[in-house]
Amino acid sequence: MLSTINQRIGLILFIIAAIYLFLSFQLPNYPYAPIDADVIPKGLGVLMLVLSAALFFSRAIETEAEKEKRNIPKKELLVLLAVFAMIFFYILLFEIIGFVVMTAVFIFFSSWFLGYTKWKTNIIVSILFPLGMYAIFVFALGISLPKGILPI
Amino acid sequence: MNAFDGMITGFQVALSWEGILFVLIGVIVGTLIGMMPGLGPISAIAIMIPITYGMDPAPALVMMAGVYYGAVFGGSTSSILLNAPGISGTVATAFDGYPMAQQGKAGKALAIAAIASFFGGTVSVIMLMLLAPALSSVAISFGPPAYFALMLMGLTAISSLSEGSTIKAMISAVAGVMVVTIGIDPQTGTQRFTFGNVNLFEGFDFLIIALGLFAIAEVCMLVLNRKNRSLSDDQKLGSLKVTRADLKEMSGPMTRQSFVGFILGVLPGAGATIASFISYIFEKRISKNPEEFGKGSIKGLAAPESSNNAATSGAFVPLLSLGIPGSGTTAVMLGAFLVLGVQPGPLLMTDRPEIFWGIIASMYLGNIFLLVLNLPLIPYLAKILSIPRPLLISLVIMFSLIGVYSISFNVFDLYMLLVFGALGFAMRVFSFPAPPFILAFILGGMMEQAFRQSMTISNGSLAIFVDSPLPLSLILIAFLSLVIPSILKWRSRRKLAKM
Repeated sequence: MLSTINQRIGLILFIIAAIYLFLSFQLPNYPYAPIDADVIPKGLGVLMLVLSAALFFSRAIETEAEKEKRNIPKKELLVLLAVFAMIFFYILLFEIIGFVVMTAVFIFFSSWFLGYTKWKTNIIVSILFPLGMYAIFVFALGISLPKGILPI
Repeated sequence: MNAFDGMITGFQVALSWEGILFVLIGVIVGTLIGMMPGLGPISAIAIMIPITYGMDPAPALVMMAGVYYGAVFGGSTSSILLNAPGISGTVATAFDGYPMAQQGKAGKALAIAAIASFFGGTVSVIMLMLLAPALSSVAISFGPPAYFALMLMGLTAISSLSEGSTIKAMISAVAGVMVVTIGIDPQTGTQRFTFGNVNLFEGFDFLIIALGLFAIAEVCMLVLNRKNRSLSDDQKLGSLKVTRADLKEMSGPMTRQSFVGFILGVLPGAGATIASFISYIFEKRISKNPEEFGKGSIKGLAAPESSNNAATSGAFVPLLSLGIPGSGTTAVMLGAFLVLGVQPGPLLMTDRPEIFWGIIASMYLGNIFLLVLNLPLIPYLAKILSIPRPLLISLVIMFSLIGVYSISFNVFDLYMLLVFGALGFAMRVFSFPAPPFILAFILGGMMEQAFRQSMTISNGSLAIFVDSPLPLSLILIAFLSLVIPSILKWRSRRKLAKM
């Protein structure tokens, strides 16, 4: 039944739209507003249901270029997931350890992981970039970034 | 204030030392970011927004405008040198620019692109100066129903003109408005879809969406294409000299396509990409030697280059005069205005003339800077293309994270950036266009407000949208802009099936 990718996406969107619509009906009423806060969400939910159904039943054939875009090797997908994981750990730790140290570590390891082999340049950029950004944001723009374990 | 007085005010802003400095910074940074394949004006503007926190709105917005057209200008460099367009608006530039580079005439191609961009940019700034105030004075009388209809028209136009499936573009737009509904409703104070999470009370900042959907999604594409070549050191640019005969040859396409580009830029939904393709096809059709196109034709290079720059300035007409962006990039520009506490629209010209005219005047200056600086500096600026992809990826991720963190100093926003980055990547993989999403996100809140105001005025009757001619005609255009392209696509599919 779900032979095309559009049908699969259409079904997922239909479910999301149904949940959104269900939640829209749970919104509390406010007696004095001529148009309450739930009107637009309800309208959007219905519109999304209709559009996802239209996508499901659409007879548009996927072009070669569109197929090519979806064709990502598993190995590359894992690389992408690893980059997302690195960003996740960066976010998790950067208020604790601090902007400068975490940024230097992130730039070095992610560049190395993605295939950059010039060690010296990598180390120089990894150290100078966070220091430069920290100086611009904290001293020039007055925007504070987490110090973390460093005393500056 | 008439246009002449306005321009004097504008040049006072643009020619102050602050104005000159920030236009210069804007065009250089824009050019550099625009050059990098994958990173376009949306990412460039979004990345630069945190830098403007704490700045005066006038120089900050002048700088952001410089980033915008600088990025469009820079996009052509990577198109010509690498056949890897920095932005979609410069795809057509590569058709003839890259063959010229392969023939050892990269320098000449870059110089022609710079001159054509300058010409297109300047012509359209003059037209912007004439058209925007006129539109502003008309728009001042718009009521909420007309505004709602206008925004609806902008949204449907961009959905129907997006590449690929119209249904997917509409889904993208509806999803954009759905995301806006998250947070506390400003009119009734009702919490919508927050699940009691304090971090969601204010809704999402547009920078999270812009950087996630564009910059982080670009990063994902860069990760997948990280082994693609970058500029090698031994690549020769050749002479930058443009002869008189070359100038004569490009003068026709430049003049024609500057006007075409401007008009397409003003129309909601069209923008630089469509303008450059239409100009290229147009010139090829009327050319006496169409077979030269695609093999290094000067006309084929000058036409899309003047057109995409003209479209960029044209896109400022609805943004400055109506306060309504017509494309994804101008939606992010509108976000930059709002971050700085400036509401673009019909009142901008009277309330903040220094900003309205300052931006227009700065564009004259910016175009001159782009031409004068870039011609001699092209060989040096092009070095940025030799930045290794892995390093570039890490740096773009960092810029995006710092940008989002400096809005609210909230780690939750960073996680959301990651979520919207994943969403942006999924949208690319499954061919859902992102510009309708960001445009809907920016317009969604305003649309809801205009809709509810209209309904309050009419005591809940939808007839208010069809009672007067202006909203009615705008809604009709919105409807037709969705229906006509769909019918045309359906007919062409049927013809193909019969063949």
